[in-house]
Amino acid sequence: MPSELPDPVRRSMFAIGCIAMGAATAGFLAATVRFFVPNVLYEPSRRFDIGAPSDFPPGGAATFLPDWRLYVFNGTDGFYAISSVCTHLGCNVRRGGPGFECPCHGSQFDESGQVVQGPAPDPLAWYALSLSPHAQLVVDLDQQVTPEFRLRA
Amino acid sequence: MNQSTPGSMAAWLDGVRRSVSRVGWPVTDKDRAAAMISSLFLHIHPARVSRHVLKPTYTFALGLIAGILFLVLSVTGLALMLYYVPYPPEAYRSMKDLQFVVTFGIVLRNMHRWSAHAMVAIVFVHMCRVFWTGSYKPPREFNWVVGVLLLLLTLGLSFTGYLLPWDQLAFWAITVGTNIAAHAPVVGEQMKFLLLGGHVIGPMTLLRFYVLHCVILPLAMLLLVSLHVWRVRKDGLSGAATQASPEEEVAGVFPASTKTYGLMALSKRPRASVEARDPNDEVFAWPHLLYRELLVALAVIVALHVVSLVFMAPLEEMADPTRTPNPAKAPWYFLGLQELVHYSTLVGGVIVPAVLVLALLIIPYVDRDPKGSGRWFAPERRITNSIFTALVALFVGLTIVGTLFRGANWAWVWPWR
Repeated sequence: MPSELPDPVRRSMFAIGCIAMGAATAGFLAATVRFFVPNVLYEPSRRFDIGAPSDFPPGGAATFLPDWRLYVFNGTDGFYAISSVCTHLGCNVRRGGPGFECPCHGSQFDESGQVVQGPAPDPLAWYALSLSPHAQLVVDLDQQVTPEFRLRA
Repeated sequence: MNQSTPGSMAAWLDGVRRSVSRVGWPVTDKDRAAAMISSLFLHIHPARVSRHVLKPTYTFALGLIAGILFLVLSVTGLALMLYYVPYPPEAYRSMKDLQFVVTFGIVLRNMHRWSAHAMVAIVFVHMCRVFWTGSYKPPREFNWVVGVLLLLLTLGLSFTGYLLPWDQLAFWAITVGTNIAAHAPVVGEQMKFLLLGGHVIGPMTLLRFYVLHCVILPLAMLLLVSLHVWRVRKDGLSGAATQASPEEEVAGVFPASTKTYGLMALSKRPRASVEARDPNDEVFAWPHLLYRELLVALAVIVALHVVSLVFMAPLEEMADPTRTPNPAKAPWYFLGLQELVHYSTLVGGVIVPAVLVLALLIIPYVDRDPKGSGRWFAPERRITNSIFTALVALFVGLTIVGTLFRGANWAWVWPWR
């Protein structure tokens, strides 16, 4: 049957071609974005040991580990580690008052890292502690814990 | 050739000259037009320009100055790349080399640094000029959008360059800057990870910033600057008034145009730029525009040399991730944002910058009334100009507060104490 309209087969082939082309482009873009995500990070390990439990004085005094940006406490009920990275813009908080103070924008945190004052949106991070087979304290920065966390060593 | 007389030698040399440049030193008006049109480098100028746009107080040559600064930054940047190693801690050592070992290295570095600061400021002021003269009105809406993108690119170039010296100033400014970006909802943390190439600022970050700073962003800049200039050329040079101001009419400086002709179906060019081509109002770009441009370029380069010889670019001790300086400040053009972030992270770091950029991008499509274009502070635009001026004043005010009035712990200080 002669018709003025375009051949429906050609029309649907064209549509399939366009969809395939679009999908290929989307895949290509996704692959490009994925390329920019590094698979190996040449940076300090996110899980590391910080020394024997006996290195940390008991009685709840904080030990600051500048290289790891961590405060480690040996409390009466166990060990715990609080990050010194301010949740506002990433400066190092320092001990001040009963808890911590950030020098950059004046955020203040209590001794468990909860925000008392200032622009910090979140409390300081708590990281999981564990004991290695060699009786070393191990911190895992990829494992955040609640302020109830204590490691009995 | 061996039998040539001095006369034919001159003719031969003239032939060589003609093969390089078809038009000689222009003497006639026809040659003056041809000089502009037939040169790759000059043909971004029209052959003739309106006298209104040549008035220094109309544009203050700000776009031209921004372009010259970009050129200076490209040349000095290429020179610095010959000594710079984008890997810590060699990056910092190469800065020390540039400062103390390389002949004229310190001058080149100073010039690169101060030009970069100047470019951020000039591009911003250029944007204000275009707004206050209503030059984003049709047919130049899209070129305003390109201009906003160029402002963002300028900030990006300056920000990525800020990390490269790998000193304390660089490290903590980028820490604060990237953490402001990380507060963006949903994608903030992922964007920060991509930008840093990891969780912390390290060798990967330096390499990424280096490639962005030296290749990706400058290429994007070149592309958009070409588009920007091309559109200026196609849409007409600046939104200069086609009619003289009442005072000028009375003084007979610029006789008012009485011609209003549109080419209608013959041309797709917008009416406004057709009307602007009033032959009584135009002068030849050679020499009137060209000499002014050379003069501005000379002044800019002299000023940069003086500043670079007198003021040293800062270089603090090597970056130390374990020791935060107090206060830690972002680059000065982000200190307005940092001041806002000090009150609220979400408002200062996300909502305000997003709304500002969005508002800048859509303003020419919202404010389409063609009245008041091509004049400074046109009375028809009093409300629009007032809102814009208030926002600019607020932003500049916050930047000044963040830069000068904030000390340790971000507490208020008086700069003169």
